Amino acid sequence: MADGPKRRLMLLATLLGLCVLVVIAQLVKVQIIDHQFYVNWARDQRVRSITMDQPPRGTIHDRDGYLLAGNGVRYAIEAAPPYVTDKANAAEKLAEVLHVPALQMRTLLETKDEHGQPATWVAIAPSVSRDIGEEVAKQEIGGVAVHPLWKREYPEGTLASHVLGFSTPVTGYYGIEGFYDTMLRPEPIKWEGPVDIASEPIPWEPIFGEFPRRGVRLELTLDRTVQMLTEQELEHAIWEYEADGGTIIVMDPKTFGILAMASWLPYDPERYGELVEQNPPPFEDPAVSKQYEPGSVFKVLTVAAALDSGTVAPSTAYNDQGWIEVGGQAIWNATREVYGQQSVTGIMVHSLNVGAAWLSTLMGPEIFYSYLQEFGIGRPTGVDLASEVSGQLWLPEDIEHWHPSNLGTNAFGQGVAVTPLQMVTAVATVVNDGARLRPHVVGRRIASTGKVSVFQPVFEQQVISPETAQQVTEMMVQVVEEGATLAQVAGYRVGGKTGTAQIPVPGGYAREGTIATFIGFGPVPDPEVLILVKLDRPQASPWASKTAAPSFARLAARLFVVLGIPPDGESVLAEVQQ
Amino acid sequence: MSSFLAWVTHGVKRGRLELGARTTVALSAVVAALTLITAIYLVLVSRTAAQGRTIERLQAEVLHLQRENEQAAVRIAETCAIPQVMARAQALGFAPADRIEFLAGSD
Repeated sequence: MADGPKRRLMLLATLLGLCVLVVIAQLVKVQIIDHQFYVNWARDQRVRSITMDQPPRGTIHDRDGYLLAGNGVRYAIEAAPPYVTDKANAAEKLAEVLHVPALQMRTLLETKDEHGQPATWVAIAPSVSRDIGEEVAKQEIGGVAVHPLWKREYPEGTLASHVLGFSTPVTGYYGIEGFYDTMLRPEPIKWEGPVDIASEPIPWEPIFGEFPRRGVRLELTLDRTVQMLTEQELEHAIWEYEADGGTIIVMDPKTFGILAMASWLPYDPERYGELVEQNPPPFEDPAVSKQYEPGSVFKVLTVAAALDSGTVAPSTAYNDQGWIEVGGQAIWNATREVYGQQSVTGIMVHSLNVGAAWLSTLMGPEIFYSYLQEFGIGRPTGVDLASEVSGQLWLPEDIEHWHPSNLGTNAFGQGVAVTPLQMVTAVATVVNDGARLRPHVVGRRIASTGKVSVFQPVFEQQVISPETAQQVTEMMVQVVEEGATLAQVAGYRVGGKTGTAQIPVPGGYAREGTIATFIGFGPVPDPEVLILVKLDRPQASPWASKTAAPSFARLAARLFVVLGIPPDGESVLAEVQQ
Repeated sequence: MSSFLAWVTHGVKRGRLELGARTTVALSAVVAALTLITAIYLVLVSRTAAQGRTIERLQAEVLHLQRENEQAAVRIAETCAIPQVMARAQALGFAPADRIEFLAGSD
């Protein structure tokens, strides 16, 4: 019997030992073998990744700091029906503030999901004004949440709409909004940490770190006053000359910064949702996205190339017989007149197609097309706007499209397609002593950290010598003084060139309708603005000298005053003497 | 269960649990230390949580002010928009200048 208690105790100890072993085995499984699984499980239940309140999109300002695109506050009203205890009362309160029938609210709050259960979430009003949102929040209706939202707003309305583009709550499209979308977008910051049963962060530890970063602030080279005057003049010209549409670009020829850019028809960027239904939608900027045959303004480039290559001098003479044959095709002057003995300057002043074709054939295709490419024809300018197209320049190696007669027609802007911005950039190169810079719309960027990046003009190429550039600009002044006299601006010396282009259609050119262009600059000798006026199918007169040229003069006269450019003493004196 | 325990403990001599004075003091010290540590921990955690709430509230306030600021900037810009300014100027009797003369100033 003496061993009896010991045996029993041993038995008990063995049983307990076995139980402990089972527990230890389970602990080893849980703590060591399946450790990561349980860690993740616990973490998933306790920790959430929450995107902190979205900061606003970057704002867009003109060069003087005036706001062109900003952010307004709207509110989204949502409800979690299972948490709305008194649905009738909640529906009454919501209906009163939102000015909708209470029955409609009640129906929303009693929405069922596909399984017939109360829906976990319903949108009561996706975007309401700040006042209404705050009024709903004040009601403190259980189960109804009010979330602030950003809404892109354009305080100047339709002003510069094509340049700005538009933005949805997430993405920017077209213009500046499209090109700089990634910079303008705010940088959301995700917070990860313990949450309560309602997924609200538990401030177990203070949330250190940075605030969500707003998008970059962009300051444009655009001047809102210049832009408004430009848009007013475009509307005036379209109305006065009964044109279908048009574009005006105002550029600083020293920096290639764009001061204004307007195309018909402007639109309200805040109404993009309705406008997207139009066919086609009005969002594409014709100044950079649509190409056209420029006509005689192209002679500026032909003459510049011929002078710079040493092929001719300004006084080199040729006998204009009214037509010339190039590549088996007869080329005529636009007026079909014979001009006889003419100089290179005469080609510009009288806008002689025959003279331009004579110059291009003298240069030969290699030199001529090499200069055109250096002027940036046939390739995008690189401007910081979305959806820029490259235009169309066929070269002799494009054997399917290029014909020897192109050498003649291209010289006066036929058979070659450019965007208005390409054309204004090429002429600005001449005005800027032959140096081609990259056109741009953004002048400064200011990051949310306060870091300022100032846009430095990008030098692309010295296309022609300053001497040649000077000769060509003088010729363009003569064009205004002797040819396109309606482009003259009282008190100022200005230069320019007209272009009246036929409109290509399949199989040839339209019998009626032209595209009238005038590119001018002033005041000479130190031009501060370069203006392109392009009018589509003007009915009052097909000629640019009678439509685009006077439109240029009106706008230039206003801009010289607005920009504080005093008149030239000699010009004023000459005017007084007259 | 009690008959099982009686069967196991039948004939087994019970031992006596005796704690010496030093052991008792040591155990008490350990308990006191644990209590103190727990109290400090709870105080710290509650203070941290309170600070966290304060920071959250301040962050929410900053975001609210940011929204107010953005909205105000848009409203100011709308009020200063060129069409608005022109309309107000016209209402006040101003008209666009049609002939502007620059006066030469002396140095």
